[in-house]
Amino acid sequence: MKFKASTWRKAALAAAAAGLGIAALAHATNYSLWINGRTGGGQLGNHADFSYWGPASTAAGINKKSVNWDGYNSVSSQNYLVRDALDCYCTGNNWCYVAAHSAGNLQIGYALSMYGGSTRTKKNASPNSGGVCGDAGTGTQTGWNIKFVDIAGGAAGGSELANAGSWALSEPLVGDLKTATSRAMYNHNTTRGTMFYMHAGAKGTLYSGILPGQDDEVIAYHSSGGVSGSSGGSYCNASDWFCNDLTLGTAAAEGGRTKWTNHSVKFRDNGESYNHYANGNWGGIVSRIVADMVANAQ
Amino acid sequence: MPNKPLGPKGPGWIAAAALLLAVGAGGTLWLADDVGKTDASSRDSTRNTLTRDSASTTKSGGSLQPRHPGMMSSRDAAADARAEAEVANNPQAQRALWSQRVERTEEILENYRNNTKYPFESRPARENADQMYPNRPVQEEGKLTNPGQKPAEGIRIRTSQERVYVAGDETVLFTVSAVDVDGNALPLTVTRAIAHDPPLNGKPSKRNSIAMPFNDEGANGDQVAGDTVASARLSPATQGFAGHAGMIRVELFLKVNEQTGFTFFDIFYTPDPPAVWSGGIREAVEAGSLNFYLKVQVRDAGRYVVTGRIDDAKGQPFALISFNNELSTGPKEIKLNLFGKLLVDEKPIFPLTLRDVDGFLLKEDTTPDRALMPRLLGKVLISRVYPLSVFSEAEWDSEERTRYLGEYGRDVESARAHLEHVRRSMKP
Repeated sequence: MKFKASTWRKAALAAAAAGLGIAALAHATNYSLWINGRTGGGQLGNHADFSYWGPASTAAGINKKSVNWDGYNSVSSQNYLVRDALDCYCTGNNWCYVAAHSAGNLQIGYALSMYGGSTRTKKNASPNSGGVCGDAGTGTQTGWNIKFVDIAGGAAGGSELANAGSWALSEPLVGDLKTATSRAMYNHNTTRGTMFYMHAGAKGTLYSGILPGQDDEVIAYHSSGGVSGSSGGSYCNASDWFCNDLTLGTAAAEGGRTKWTNHSVKFRDNGESYNHYANGNWGGIVSRIVADMVANAQ
Repeated sequence: MPNKPLGPKGPGWIAAAALLLAVGAGGTLWLADDVGKTDASSRDSTRNTLTRDSASTTKSGGSLQPRHPGMMSSRDAAADARAEAEVANNPQAQRALWSQRVERTEEILENYRNNTKYPFESRPARENADQMYPNRPVQEEGKLTNPGQKPAEGIRIRTSQERVYVAGDETVLFTVSAVDVDGNALPLTVTRAIAHDPPLNGKPSKRNSIAMPFNDEGANGDQVAGDTVASARLSPATQGFAGHAGMIRVELFLKVNEQTGFTFFDIFYTPDPPAVWSGGIREAVEAGSLNFYLKVQVRDAGRYVVTGRIDDAKGQPFALISFNNELSTGPKEIKLNLFGKLLVDEKPIFPLTLRDVDGFLLKEDTTPDRALMPRLLGKVLISRVYPLSVFSEAEWDSEERTRYLGEYGRDVESARAHLEHVRRSMKP
């Protein structure tokens, strides 16, 4: 039997009519929010500008929106752009999937930890030129509606490249990316119960002398794998006998250090095939969360 | 050690692409990609004035640009479409897709249900291992290096800083030492060390830098003379940073044998507290929970984030309790809730100790993003002894939790229904 789209859709609608639970999809709109990392590149407030990521035509989850921040100034000073987008698309009857790259991990983690329990006005999902949506007129709610968060090359634990002065020290975001600062910035365990699926690349070579353990050339496994603690550490693929393993899932890393609560390593780059860079084409470790978003953000 | 060759592992990307293509079909069945539907042309082109010059964005981000040409080939959209069409016609692929969606939605629902038995402000200590001892120094280790250069072989630099966020009269001890790959101490010289408010984002320093007398002679904070660990203590309030609300950077220029290197520490200083503790802490069993009330005098209104740690009678970490809410000016009480079901489930030995309470005013959209309240170090309150029977075993209940469990539950039902339909369709 062949599954043509129209056939499938009719069948699904029939199933919904039969009360199989599909009807619930109709009452809400789901969105896929993409939060960039360092360097930025997309126009702030323009949720259709995917310049940071790659071709806007690429499928990357249902109703995808680009949550652009400048990728240069501090996380806290730019976080309003993330909160604005969460207010827009993730309140009322609307729900969101969130994908973030690199320092975008800090942005969504910071928003949830600091403001995830705050009172939000329900918005109408129609942003103005600044990326701010109008009120839906349906009141307020606590926090946002988020189904899960996909992270690629997450920098919530910082990067030793910032520690080593490999980046311009006058750049405000570089200060945030210092490992001690990133990890002290907010309680990373507070995600409001939302799962963070971590995707960690290991195709790093250039900075392997500075970045401990396995890395994607910018972020080491201790951060991209969501390993907790006030400082980084050396974590590797299971094939490396001389370095603690970054375990899959939510289990503590080898050596006993726990992962941040609700953080699960979904992908560990055993093949050392993925580096950090989106490369203007949804590339590197970002390609892994593209796949996951297309698979699950619907 | 990392990045050693592991043999041909090229199929990683192929597998990812296959998954992408496989699942893409399912997605496109339900909703076409909305790119282009948003009226980008109507966007205010002046929006960019809100940020720095876009050209500088590109330049400053240079180090993040790809260095491996050809690391990923461009995906051919036409090929994608063909592959998606093939998958859409492939019942096995559809079954695989919906099976994993069922798995994902079930995992999310189950995790949320378990994670929200207690409110987010009252959590088991085991979930917050890195939050339970906030006043321990941050210890780090890295290779001796200069910015932009290869690190020196065989020389590792160990550092510690007493804290990252600093308030009022608090001081911060910094230490640095050098070891070889086996952990043996190496002779280290701090050739120069300064503390300053660094130029950031094109803005110059507002204060003169001060010298930081790192030494291994048991002076200025160095705890043990001659132990090869050099130390210095910074007192922002008395060393030129009084009135400075923001970052202070301590920069060290190092020499180990004939190799040189650089390292730095950042701290964030609050000279004047936005609220002060006004004494008097009370506890009360209310609605089946144990609440602690801490009196404060709020000078600056806003959102306050306050966190306390709870140990059981044996001194074992038991819970992390927090407050995150708006406060107006004047005398207030901050309530830290120790949730009843958490007590019932974990059965801690009373009395409990509330210790190490810290708090700050969270400032929106600025840097630094917080103004610190004075830290309450060590024991703050020892509770009375209660029988567990006075606490409630009811799970946390809120509109937020109901909303999430409802939506997650519907996602599970929907995915299961789709999977079942696919399975039935595959039967001959």
